[in-house]
Amino acid sequence: MKRVGIVLLVSALVLSLGAGAALAADTIKIGYLAALTGDWAAYGQTEEKTAQLAVDEINAKGGLLGKQVELVVYDFRTRAEDAVNAVRRLAEEDKVVGIVGANGSGINIATAPLVNRYGIPQIGTVSTNPFVTVDKNGKVRPYSFRVCFTDPYQGKLIAYFSAKELGKMQAAILYDVGSDYSQGLREFFMKSYGEYGGEVVADLGFRAGQDVDFRAQLTEIRDKKADVLILPNMGKEMALIMKQARELGMDDIVFVGGDGYAEFMWEIAGDSMENSYWINHVSPDDPAMAKFFADYKAKYNDECKEFVNGILGYDAMYLMFDAIQRAGEADPKLIAKALSETKDLQLHHAVITMDEFHNPLDKDGIIIVAKDGHGQFYMKIKPE
Amino acid sequence: METLLQQTINGLSLGSVYALIAVGYSLVYSILLFSNFAHGGFLVIGGYICYFTLKSLGFNIWIAGFASLVGAGFSAVLTERLAYKPIRERTNVTLYLLIASMGMSIVIENIFVIVAGGRFRALPPVIPTHPVHIFGLATTSAFDILSLLAAVFFLGALQLFLIKTKWGLAIRAAAYDLRTAGLMGVNVNLLISIVFFVAGFLAAVGGIFLSVRYTLYPQLGMITIKAFVAAVIGGLGSLPGAVVGSLILGLAEMLTAGFISSQLRDLVVFSLLIITLLVRPQGLFGKNISEKV
Amino acid sequence: MSGYTEGIIILLCINAIAAMGVSVLTGFTGIFSLGHAGYMAVGAYTTAILTVEYGVHYIPAILLGGAMAMVIAYVIGVPTLKLMGDYYAIASIGLGEAIRLILENWQSVTRGARGYPGIEGYTTLYVSLAFFAVMAFGMFNLINSRFGRAFKACRDDYIAASLLGFNTARYRILSLVISAFYCGVAGALLGGFLSFIQPIMFDMIKSTELTSVVVFGGLGSMSGTLLGASIITLVTELFRPISQYRMLIYGAILVLIMVIRPEGIMGQYELGPRLFRRLKDKFSFRNRDNSEGRSS
Repeated sequence: MKRVGIVLLVSALVLSLGAGAALAADTIKIGYLAALTGDWAAYGQTEEKTAQLAVDEINAKGGLLGKQVELVVYDFRTRAEDAVNAVRRLAEEDKVVGIVGANGSGINIATAPLVNRYGIPQIGTVSTNPFVTVDKNGKVRPYSFRVCFTDPYQGKLIAYFSAKELGKMQAAILYDVGSDYSQGLREFFMKSYGEYGGEVVADLGFRAGQDVDFRAQLTEIRDKKADVLILPNMGKEMALIMKQARELGMDDIVFVGGDGYAEFMWEIAGDSMENSYWINHVSPDDPAMAKFFADYKAKYNDECKEFVNGILGYDAMYLMFDAIQRAGEADPKLIAKALSETKDLQLHHAVITMDEFHNPLDKDGIIIVAKDGHGQFYMKIKPE
Repeated sequence: METLLQQTINGLSLGSVYALIAVGYSLVYSILLFSNFAHGGFLVIGGYICYFTLKSLGFNIWIAGFASLVGAGFSAVLTERLAYKPIRERTNVTLYLLIASMGMSIVIENIFVIVAGGRFRALPPVIPTHPVHIFGLATTSAFDILSLLAAVFFLGALQLFLIKTKWGLAIRAAAYDLRTAGLMGVNVNLLISIVFFVAGFLAAVGGIFLSVRYTLYPQLGMITIKAFVAAVIGGLGSLPGAVVGSLILGLAEMLTAGFISSQLRDLVVFSLLIITLLVRPQGLFGKNISEKV
Repeated sequence: MSGYTEGIIILLCINAIAAMGVSVLTGFTGIFSLGHAGYMAVGAYTTAILTVEYGVHYIPAILLGGAMAMVIAYVIGVPTLKLMGDYYAIASIGLGEAIRLILENWQSVTRGARGYPGIEGYTTLYVSLAFFAVMAFGMFNLINSRFGRAFKACRDDYIAASLLGFNTARYRILSLVISAFYCGVAGALLGGFLSFIQPIMFDMIKSTELTSVVVFGGLGSMSGTLLGASIITLVTELFRPISQYRMLIYGAILVLIMVIRPEGIMGQYELGPRLFRRLKDKFSFRNRDNSEGRSS
């Protein structure tokens, strides 16, 4: 019994190694880092699917530079130490020309020194922390890019929208202490909101994962008479917060959230979602994205409910395709150069121009309003 | 004053959900003397069975709930047979069982990651969650009252089972001394299976309530860590202890978050755990253990 | 050597150092901890702050990181190590989480959950190998010394050991402090490997991973611990192409090894002539395992 087990284990190891080496045809390989297991699995799995969709589309059109594109996806189980070795493997074993992902700023910051040493461009999908593309001295990292906007910009958008568009000046904020994304947005929101003349009357935290009950914090927010509740969190937590807030009879408070909005929140929060506002990169009813949603459904027989990750992953792939096309050959250094020169590129969800810090320049903030059971386009904003 | 009342109600309703999970933990601990970290997995299994029988097969909540409770119960028995029985037959080191249970919790979580995907799912609103006003002083949701009632009902039923039935007597005897109970003619393997069935069954009740209230996803089992802390505070192996510990923990969490600092909520939970262990390691209701092992 | 192999070896060294730390506590002194990632975090943050803010050279900084973990372990250990068996294990969950919570909330120093960027990438292949070699040498000497025997005495029979005049409480604390040093150094090396640390890297999953490695390799066997750390690190790495199934396999292996060979791969034996003598007489080897009763 024991020996059989060991033999099986060893042969499985050998097989898996062999399988990795056998796929060495003449293709252009693009690596993808996605959390397929662990807490972010829902988002990572969607990104994997949409990235594959983009690859299939480009291959159907004849590929890039006359070659087929091959996607190499590695899981990093939400751990940075796993991600850095995935990047090493992508660079050295798979010889990818570029890497897309990961869906988490911390992972991108940890892999940034590595991709810059290898000279392989990496495009973060939803990695909003400023340090993803610049080092701690504010110097740009030549091979690190992102397709989303940054925390300071998004924080400012949320503040601008709440104060100037909605005219709500008494904000409460409920953020995830354990999440870099949430802490970052909170910090930059508070800064901008103050500048717009708003006052944060309640600044409360929770911890995702173990905390699923927010009524204690909500009760306090109710007592502080806040007129808007800022939610810089992930979809599940925001949905739960809204549902519990309405259960506590907080009927008047307006919810304004960040790009963690996802369509699955309707399943959780139901009617509590109605009339909440979401600062986002793209709206799910954007006509330009209709084909994407239809193709996704046709290919996977499933709705793309984590659409922010899905669309950003999809368009990050197209951003990479465009750079490879313009570079003229599958050389990582030329691709990185082409990426940094990206100008007025029409992607599916937005027009992208890379600024000097490798962030998309002045991307419009899209406001989604939750109405009649789904997220709808409300307005575009560009803060003063 | 109003706020205090509100936070107390919030705390009790949170505590009642912890209690359903903590009791299962405690029950297994009382017999096998190890902390079953796969317990959260049973809860997830229960939640998913309920979800799929409701959504894909279109049954009503009663059938789905029944399928889920029984299904989770049998998965718990299966887990015990596959992973724990071979170990407990070979050695009396409970540490190995603990590690195996951690392995099982990883296995269960990732089976669902692969089969069902990582997406957050919500059960259809089979349990009402509309706000209920209590004498105009506080507001709670109908759900909380129901979960409190369900907790009382199932825990009461468990108590009756333990006191009134022959197997209940056997379980209580085994909790006192498993070996001797075996020598007295109790079928130990069957007894342990029954215990796991009950634990899985109760976990699924918690699982359904949690997935209605807090969504269903493969890592939902993680929140059982709080229930586990509650079981320890109440005294591992003691059922009333598990209930009281859960209520204390629910209240402590809500009152800390409401009156001290929401950021420190978990710190208070874990300090409570450590203080309990230092001052009274057997917990509030635990058996007085001479060697504290 | 390719950078990929290099990366695996560095991670292997880091995991092995941390696992040795947990092993001396769990395998040799019989204290089961589920919170050692907390000490890794202390080491990582201390070293990061010393190198980044104060410009300390990385070698003293790493050692100071380990020392800081020792101090914290001592402060925590004196009151809590009175607890025995499962009860300490439970308390350690709370202790590990509490350390992480403090790191998340103490934003002025640790920058909270957003993480600590810009750490110099000092953990090169040679640095990690050197640290591993020195610390492994130290560890093997320790477990064969008077202290090692005292630890085992505490593990095997606590009461008999104290009757024999061992100050068991002191040895238990000593063991914890040493293990915290190893984990602190491992954490510091991890910080240098990633150039970036976040509290979430040192969560309970990391702690249980460490303890699993030790049990997997064999409680009371230092070479088993090293073997366990290597196997677990390599398994997760080799199964990378089948990404989604990786964690499932990891969990299944953990259960399987407990079911098939609960005493771990190496049992209590070290790699060496003694093991080979035992392997020759395989039959009695098996019998020995089955009658083993090293419970606490």
